[in-house]
Amino acid sequence: MATIACKEFTDRLDSWMGGDLPSDAQAHLRNCRNCRSLIEDLKAICTEASSWRAEEIEVPLRIWASLQSHLEQEGLIHENRPADAAKTIWFGGWLAALPRPALAGAYLTLLIAGAFALSRPINKQTNEARWLAASEDSTLPLRAQLTAEQDSFASFNNANPAVAASLNKNLAIVDNYIALCEKSVQEEPQNEVARDYLYEAYQQKADLLAQMTERGENNR
Amino acid sequence: MARTRRTDTDELPEAEAIRLAQQGNAPAFERLYRLHNRRVYSLCLRMVGNTAEAEDLTQEAFLQLFRKIATFRGESAFSTWLHRLAVNVVLMKLRKKSGTETSLDEMTEPDEESGGPRRDFGTPDLRLSGSIDRVNLQRAVEQLPPGYKAVFVLHDVQGYEHNEIAEIMQCSIGNSKSQLHKARMRLRELLHEAMRDKAREDRKAASAESGSED
Amino acid sequence: MSTTHFVRKQFIWTASWKPMAVIVPSLLFCSMLSADPQPPRRQEQHFKVEAHPVVTIHNPNGLITVKAWTKAEVMVISNRASDNVEVDAEQMGNRVDVSTHAASDNVAPDDMRADYQINVPEDAELQIHNDSGEVNVANVLGDMNVETVAAAVDLEDSAGYVTIKTVGGSFQCTRCAGKLEISSISGNLRLTDIHSYRVHAQTSTGNILFSGEFLPNGIYRLKNYSGVIEVRFSPADSFDLSATSLKGKVINEASLTPKSHQQHFYSRFGNSLFGTFNAGRAKVELTSFDGTINILKRD
Repeated sequence: MATIACKEFTDRLDSWMGGDLPSDAQAHLRNCRNCRSLIEDLKAICTEASSWRAEEIEVPLRIWASLQSHLEQEGLIHENRPADAAKTIWFGGWLAALPRPALAGAYLTLLIAGAFALSRPINKQTNEARWLAASEDSTLPLRAQLTAEQDSFASFNNANPAVAASLNKNLAIVDNYIALCEKSVQEEPQNEVARDYLYEAYQQKADLLAQMTERGENNR
Repeated sequence: MARTRRTDTDELPEAEAIRLAQQGNAPAFERLYRLHNRRVYSLCLRMVGNTAEAEDLTQEAFLQLFRKIATFRGESAFSTWLHRLAVNVVLMKLRKKSGTETSLDEMTEPDEESGGPRRDFGTPDLRLSGSIDRVNLQRAVEQLPPGYKAVFVLHDVQGYEHNEIAEIMQCSIGNSKSQLHKARMRLRELLHEAMRDKAREDRKAASAESGSED
Repeated sequence: MSTTHFVRKQFIWTASWKPMAVIVPSLLFCSMLSADPQPPRRQEQHFKVEAHPVVTIHNPNGLITVKAWTKAEVMVISNRASDNVEVDAEQMGNRVDVSTHAASDNVAPDDMRADYQINVPEDAELQIHNDSGEVNVANVLGDMNVETVAAAVDLEDSAGYVTIKTVGGSFQCTRCAGKLEISSISGNLRLTDIHSYRVHAQTSTGNILFSGEFLPNGIYRLKNYSGVIEVRFSPADSFDLSATSLKGKVINEASLTPKSHQQHFYSRFGNSLFGTFNAGRAKVELTSFDGTINILKRD
């Protein structure tokens, strides 16, 4: 009766898993205490692990609550989606689809929420003043939130000075860009191009803050 | 925000929920979440070992899923797609965090001498069965490199089959089997080390009391 | 030597060599310790792969060069700046993950660096994160995603779906086909000899230079806030052009046929130019806030 050596037994073990051992392997097992011990160990590990499956795991309720608010703010949950919002969300979606921790997503959704409010198409007949007031209201809490986050980065420090310098410099560039766009939007509320630029600037800022957060977390 | 819970969405079939979710229907999103949240959360929890990170990762996985749902065309099973996203999210997190455990030396196979299972000569009586418990296995799993950990958790803990794991991890079925085997072998080594450490400590404690030796 | 004989020998070996077996490995271990405790700074690894492997690289700082070759193999040569960083290359099925991480807390910035030279099959899919330094990729035809903060990215002869994201790093692309999506804040974007059917390039304060073919049914969107957008065309090109700069200039050398149908809504704002060049097969959209848009003849 043919049988095999320990080395061959262990080398081929993974290909036999989940099925029956061939006769030469079984013969080896009968004679080899070490390999028997190995098989029993592996079985014990597997059995213990599978007993965890039956465990009752409570999924925290706050996950759905938080998810739901993200989805609404990103405009993913809507019965009717305005046509140009689809275009803007495409670009936002592209940025957001790049892997980012949940915290980063939070920045972006806050900004898109405000931006979305700005990009809704306006009827020329509607009250321009009302629109202006609405857009100011919607950007005010956003700006406050962003400023608060930014203050926490005032002393942003990163192990890599080139990276820290670049992030800080570009954050200043984007802030300047936001200020100029906001001014433009206020001067010409019907200028959709200016509004496009403004919320893209918010997206860039959110993304930058997210990147700084990531690197800040990793350096703590 | 008002939640209009219509009882019929509780029984909405998955395919229908996906179609409605692609149109932005809110209850459909919730249905998809309810269908899959437990498995995704427990996968994340087993991989990272703490509830705070598991929550973050679960949320991130579903968020990515819902953002991309419009692109889902049914080329693979929805749950496989979701689990692939979740595994990627977790692996990226683990790889960012990974400390000194996954050095290059561990990845390469040490030279096999012509003999029995390496590392165990000298201790043939050190049998694991009967002495593995939840705590020491959990501790050993935490020390696994991310790739091994993923396959082990998916197969032995979560109960996925190799063909499903192959789709989730984007590898072949053969790879899934061999990675699982390596993961279990590594766990066995880690458990043996832990046992030897414990035996040593017990001996020290015993000889301190009675002066006798093993 | 029959197998049974061999097996019996094994059994005997295991039983009688027990005491020796305990000593010998430990001696070996000690001598290994004194020989070379640290892995060498330069390391080379080879991974056999099948079609369309995925290769990911996460690196904080350094020079990353990726080239295609004809072997069904991924080769990773890494060079660490110090012993305070470790490189990690792991294969999982058809996927190779390469990453650099600190070996301890408080690693000095100069130490936190690794350079990589990686060879991949030409159909590989790449995902590269490199905060600073450089990323150079040549002849890789698969999809890629590259993200950097300050690192410059240089791409040659690509053909897949390429997404690039930098904060301040510049981007240069030569002889690229497929789809390009590039986004930066202050990086300059330079796309030359392009044969892509879809280009979406956006930077805030950087310049954009585009010189390439406008393929029929291709879409080319270039957008910045300030700075220059420069597009070069040849007489044989065929495109439908919309160029708008809210507060800057639009300079055009192409003789366009003005559109007879409904004007684009952008034309109400700023300086705009709309028209068709030849048959208008491709679509070109150039937008700037207060920068200059130049549409120039290629020489």
